[in-house]
Amino acid sequence: MSIETLVEGVTTGRLSRRGFLQGAVALGLSMSGAVALLEACTSGTQGTSKADLTFVVWSYGVETIRDNIKKLEAKVSGLHVNFQDFAWTNYHDTMVARFAAKTPTDVCYSSDHWLSEWAAAGWLSPLEQKYPDLNGYTSDYFPYVIQGMTYQGKNYGIPYYADTWAFLYNEDHLKKAGISQPPTTWAELAQQSQQIKAKGIANYPVILLFAQDDPGSIEVWTSMVFSLTDGHLFDDSLNPVFNKGGSAAAKTIDWISGALNTSKILDPASLTSQEIPVVKAMESGAHTFTILETYNQAELNKSGSGPFSGQFKMAPMPGDTHNTVGYVRFYAVTDQLTKRDTSVIKFGDDFLQYFGGKPDGAISPVVKRWAVENGLGFGWKSLWDDADVRKAFSTWGNPDMLRQNQQLARSKEGLTKYYPSWDVFTRSELQKAYLGQVSTTAALTAIADKWNSLKKG
Amino acid sequence: MAAFSLYPIGYSVYLSLHKEVLTDPLKNPFVGFQNFSNVLHSYYLVSSLVSTAAFMAMAVPGVMIFGLLSALLLNEAFAGARILRVAILLPWAMPAVVSGIVWRWLLNGDYGLLNSALYQLGIIHDYIPWLSQPALARVGLAVAHVWREGPLAAIFLLAGLQTISPDLYSAAAVDGAGRVAAFRRITVPLLRPTIVIVLIYETIVAATTFDLVYVMTGGGPADATSLISWFAYAEVFKFLDLGAGAALAFLIALVLLGVIVLYLRILRSEERR
Repeated sequence: MSIETLVEGVTTGRLSRRGFLQGAVALGLSMSGAVALLEACTSGTQGTSKADLTFVVWSYGVETIRDNIKKLEAKVSGLHVNFQDFAWTNYHDTMVARFAAKTPTDVCYSSDHWLSEWAAAGWLSPLEQKYPDLNGYTSDYFPYVIQGMTYQGKNYGIPYYADTWAFLYNEDHLKKAGISQPPTTWAELAQQSQQIKAKGIANYPVILLFAQDDPGSIEVWTSMVFSLTDGHLFDDSLNPVFNKGGSAAAKTIDWISGALNTSKILDPASLTSQEIPVVKAMESGAHTFTILETYNQAELNKSGSGPFSGQFKMAPMPGDTHNTVGYVRFYAVTDQLTKRDTSVIKFGDDFLQYFGGKPDGAISPVVKRWAVENGLGFGWKSLWDDADVRKAFSTWGNPDMLRQNQQLARSKEGLTKYYPSWDVFTRSELQKAYLGQVSTTAALTAIADKWNSLKKG
Repeated sequence: MAAFSLYPIGYSVYLSLHKEVLTDPLKNPFVGFQNFSNVLHSYYLVSSLVSTAAFMAMAVPGVMIFGLLSALLLNEAFAGARILRVAILLPWAMPAVVSGIVWRWLLNGDYGLLNSALYQLGIIHDYIPWLSQPALARVGLAVAHVWREGPLAAIFLLAGLQTISPDLYSAAAVDGAGRVAAFRRITVPLLRPTIVIVLIYETIVAATTFDLVYVMTGGGPADATSLISWFAYAEVFKFLDLGAGAALAFLIALVLLGVIVLYLRILRSEERR
């Protein structure tokens, strides 16, 4: 550590006054010299404290984020946001490396996938520790949003956005095939797909986001499981139930395997398809049915997205219960931020309120902006009362259907500190079963064994 | 030296002998060789070794053959040879991430250029999901690796070829030796040391390939392209088990060391003959 590092640390608020003095003395300065230097460093910032806040996200709507930051910085004197973004598919690993190496990170995007893991590792801090005021909004959140941000009974975030996995279809394809209603069960989906295939409208009517390296793939599969009767993965004690004979999970794997290998209605490229390739393939009209995050309906239907713009509709998830996965991606406070100076922690509050809270008594303009401009779902129930949001959603979807899907949505099950490891293992085992390399029973047994071994620790 | 080499190695040894799971930050007991045992009994060891062996069996000979043929071509005097010698290095100079993205795009099952070209030429009637079928994905990965690594091998071998005196070939021609005989009797023996060095290097590169896998296939489908080095990464960054990751890295290094020693012994025994 050099004097320059100490000066930079104390002027940006990353280093406390005590830390500065200790460091300066360690570098050979006398205590009186260190105090004088400290005064010189901080005299200009007294009263109008200045600090940088490092904000890390996955790459989506980066220009919108930059603009939001600019607006916040103009509003909050002395705040500078150091913004960094990384690809979604690498985000977990990148953040693990950052946290383990103690790379400065104050606020970051997180997901219900990873909350328990990151909180157990001590990388995130519950809001009650430094931001109890932000905890007061939970009564207005959807249940899956609260569950997704809770670890050991404590809330760890405020929603960046919250959405559901939705069953989407190309209405034009259905009309051409003489089909008047979208499928309501998986059997109907198979039957309609064969009809579409037979008429040469789409060679593979179904495409699913099943890339092994996309964390979304487990959510697609889980949504399909949830849609069936007894669609659960674990019991209340977190014991696997998916490995029991005739389980919803087994039925789901069998359906996928049949669609891939027997009826050939499922595009084999699904096994390597991440979110954007699925969206692009749907836009091109190569496929009729898919399961995507709901906001992608806005992307599919936006003007200029392709020849089928405006033709993409949502239907309840096929199945018996029509349940689906509801998820939340949220702003999380790192443990590092809670150890910074009080003035910086205060800036953290300003940031979180502006980006996801109620900065002026009304729901954050950032949350509303994501909804109106990008079609991102939200965690706030009361935002449905907002005329601008309803109007914007009406341009690309059916607000009543969107709302119905939210009511049918459930948080993923088994969200523990070992869920991410289990997820990585499970994705490859599921692919083996889809391809017929192993039987459904063998795959589910292996997945259950892995869960039990991780649970045991 | 200590900061960049000894400290990381020493710290890795420490990690490999302790329980270092990031989700249990307060429990880091000394566990002896438990991490090594866990790795050796892991669910992925056998399958990933098979995948790595299959990959190496395609990639190393592929790189060597491509490199040797290219070097022999570039060693000839023809118009544009100098430009070609520089141009051939381009795939190698390209960051692995970019190469991975390019090949993922080329081999895409829905809109890949390869499918488009084959379809337009009438060779295929349906698009082939190159990266979605385990066997094809392995081949695709190996082809991308050869494309990326072959040029470097070519340049090394070209440098070796250029140290061989042309007088030897002239003398052989006077004695009535044809091109094939000259290649067998002059080129191969004199190029052997370079070939072994390139072979060792390419074996290490193939055995530790990670970046291309990460970008091109993510280890899929169904772990078909999850090589052993991929799991060294996964242990640390996906399973958050630093101890197991370090132990696996040491085991990989140990096996590679064995392979290198084997290559060198073969080289020495041939030199003695």
